[in-house]
Amino acid sequence: MWTFEVSHPFAPGLEVRRHRLHNGLTVLVLADGAAPIVSYQTWYAVGSRHEQPGATGMAHLFEHLMFNQTRSRPPGVFDRLIEETGGDTNAATWVDWTFYRDTVPARDLAMVVELEADRMANLLLETPQLESEREVVANERMQRVDDDIDGFADEELGRLAFTEHPYRWPTIGWMEDIRGMQLEEVRRFYRTFYAPNNATLVVVGDVVETDVLALVERHYGGMPAADIPPAPSVVEPPQESERRVRFAKPTAAARLVQGYRAVAMGDPDWPALSLAAALLSAGPSSRLYRRLVAEKEIASSVDCDVAPFRDPALFRISVLLTREHGPEDAEAEIADILGELAAAPIGAEELDKVRSVVETDFWSDLEGVDGRAEALGHYQTVLGDFRRLFATAEALARVSADDLQRVVAEYLVPERRSVVIVDPDLEGEEESE
Amino acid sequence: MSAPLLFEPAAGIPLCWFTVASRVGGVLDPTGLEGFTRQAGELARRGAGGMDRAQLDDAIDRLGASIDVEVDRDWVALTGTCLERNLDRTVALAAAVLADPMMSEREHEVLRRESQHEIDEIRDDDGTLVERYFQMQCVPGHAYGRTLIGTVDSLERIERDALLRHHRGVWAPDNLVLGVAGPITPARAREVADVLESAVAGRQAIAPPALPAPESPPGRRLYLIDKPQRTQCQLWIGHLAPAYGTADFLALMPVETAFGGMFSSRLMQEIRVKRGWSYGAGCRMFRSRAPHWLRISLAPSREVAVDALALTLELYEQLAADGITAEEHEFAVRHLTGSLLFSQATPRQRMRQAVRHQLLGLDPAYPRQVRAALEATTVAEARAAAARWLHPRDLCITLIATADDIAPLLDKAGLAPTAIIPFDSY
Repeated sequence: MWTFEVSHPFAPGLEVRRHRLHNGLTVLVLADGAAPIVSYQTWYAVGSRHEQPGATGMAHLFEHLMFNQTRSRPPGVFDRLIEETGGDTNAATWVDWTFYRDTVPARDLAMVVELEADRMANLLLETPQLESEREVVANERMQRVDDDIDGFADEELGRLAFTEHPYRWPTIGWMEDIRGMQLEEVRRFYRTFYAPNNATLVVVGDVVETDVLALVERHYGGMPAADIPPAPSVVEPPQESERRVRFAKPTAAARLVQGYRAVAMGDPDWPALSLAAALLSAGPSSRLYRRLVAEKEIASSVDCDVAPFRDPALFRISVLLTREHGPEDAEAEIADILGELAAAPIGAEELDKVRSVVETDFWSDLEGVDGRAEALGHYQTVLGDFRRLFATAEALARVSADDLQRVVAEYLVPERRSVVIVDPDLEGEEESE
Repeated sequence: MSAPLLFEPAAGIPLCWFTVASRVGGVLDPTGLEGFTRQAGELARRGAGGMDRAQLDDAIDRLGASIDVEVDRDWVALTGTCLERNLDRTVALAAAVLADPMMSEREHEVLRRESQHEIDEIRDDDGTLVERYFQMQCVPGHAYGRTLIGTVDSLERIERDALLRHHRGVWAPDNLVLGVAGPITPARAREVADVLESAVAGRQAIAPPALPAPESPPGRRLYLIDKPQRTQCQLWIGHLAPAYGTADFLALMPVETAFGGMFSSRLMQEIRVKRGWSYGAGCRMFRSRAPHWLRISLAPSREVAVDALALTLELYEQLAADGITAEEHEFAVRHLTGSLLFSQATPRQRMRQAVRHQLLGLDPAYPRQVRAALEATTVAEARAAAARWLHPRDLCITLIATADDIAPLLDKAGLAPTAIIPFDSY
């Protein structure tokens, strides 16, 4: 039994339509026959935010286990069926969600609906699979964090900036927690969070909406809704002064990562902070890039973003220094530029420029079926309504110079800041202040 | 105008993409001047049409556009992305980069330093670093082995006037291939192409070079790239492979796929699924105009690295000796032909594929023809091509690891390094 909820235009002749099945399963359909393919994504509203200390990394480890076996399909069958079509399957986990992506020829839609429904309800979790994936995830962590300076610095920033909120641990989890995960905990996690009323299906591509709904109802319609526990409601205490840590790693050039306590993605100030990030580092004429990289050669790259998370998170400025300069040089320039932006509104020409850069980025992200499905799934899962994607684009276009000045002055200030520095140490010693 | 134009109409989103490319790439870099072609390309983008670097960056960003230089071994491309309403103004800026680059001495010095900092970045990223050393060691003397970005020393030797001369020879009418995609008419795409081609009118082209392919040295050579504090090892293993577009390359594609191109491939199953030894394990042939490499890659933890290397070598020996089974061949062909849909799904993808194939001297429609060609291949052809091209006894093995940890284990396993090289020496 379906309930049609809302629709929203995507582009001329195309619209996104949202339906809800009687058991709470949400389905978004964007039918577009431009290419004979379909992206079928399953977004579960569970991420590392839902984990507990001592069991960090569960959502991500579980994502790996979802590619194993079900009651009716032995290990490896899922991947082979997708690969046989020429398609591709993968998954990702972050703080607020886990999503699974199957990109297949449109003629194979029925098969992926059946496969995804099967693993939502019938996954088999046994010790051999857990042990094998535990090692794989440990290796993934070594690759992305332990042997990667930028991954390491980002992880340390989260640990420093949050004292209470689950955003303080990395989505991949602490190594000791990955090593210690027990089978019964994994099974409990599956039973708790993998249910139709905790999921959104996003179907984008060469499909007929009525066919999609019929297939989904056939394969998911018999699943009961589950009692999903309320999302953790931890409120991170206000930060009252700057926090700072320093490490050494075998590198020729230092890293500086600043994280300013900012707002949740649904906050009215999020678009202005997002535009501020673009003003600072999007494009070669952006303020920080021009000063730090092009003019003063203090840095070889700079990147800013505001986290697209459900709860208030960080506005991050990440700088890779050149070997001739230390983090203090970059910090002085960043402070100078933020001071300028807080003191006076930017000119109309610069504001127009940043809006244009952001508009191009917005459409670039929506070029293919996977990008479209991912954007829709993210907004539906994090903010509860895919239409917020388009509302955010409109809000970005409305941000004024005064808005920018205000959010820089309010949020990008030292007392809201956590700073991680990684210094060069080619002798091989690692230390922390 | 005479340069080929490959146009893909689009609908749905208001973006346009264009590419103007030259058939001359980084293989032209003279020995000792590695990085030369890339420096020429990047320097041209730093000020043009009477605007210095900052002014040109401002002009491009004001349109919300991007204009980037891509340098491959076989080609160079200037690519643009912009909102449809800004197409003409973005193309005019790209044309200025081609016609009238400033190429100032100051920016040349800045670019040199930036490139040297990029080499520092490569040294920080083990996945990129292993590729850099593997390229150098795989087939000594091969043009594809030279680094595109250059070395700290080679960058010091490159002179600005030589870059300017090179720019004029690379960007000349006889070398050009053009591509446009977006929600515009074919006539408007032709206008875009004409503007870009006019920018280089009258220039004498540097001819794409012949590429001799030296033989791979016999035997196994293991280069241990010593880097402190590694918890895992980045491993690349490989040797010379056939040129893209040849019958042997086509016959080997199912072999590449069955061995290491899918999650269900032999390597992923044995290394990751059964043992959990590495997050990824794969095999890939490089798509280039002349014979390039086949490489196997994995990243095991230091504790199991030697076992993982030994098992990978064993699996590769089996592959070379027995080839793939008929069932593996059939499955791989189904996967490969099915996957073509996804690499050709958007107008931008189709345009870029067509341009790249034209640059490699192939029919721009080759990506659409390859389905039938793959379906016509047989397992016997795959085995024969494997017998000709897979040489598990004549391999280059490059490994990023901490030598104190791993060298004794390699010795014990009979895989003693040919050389131990400091990670920051190249």
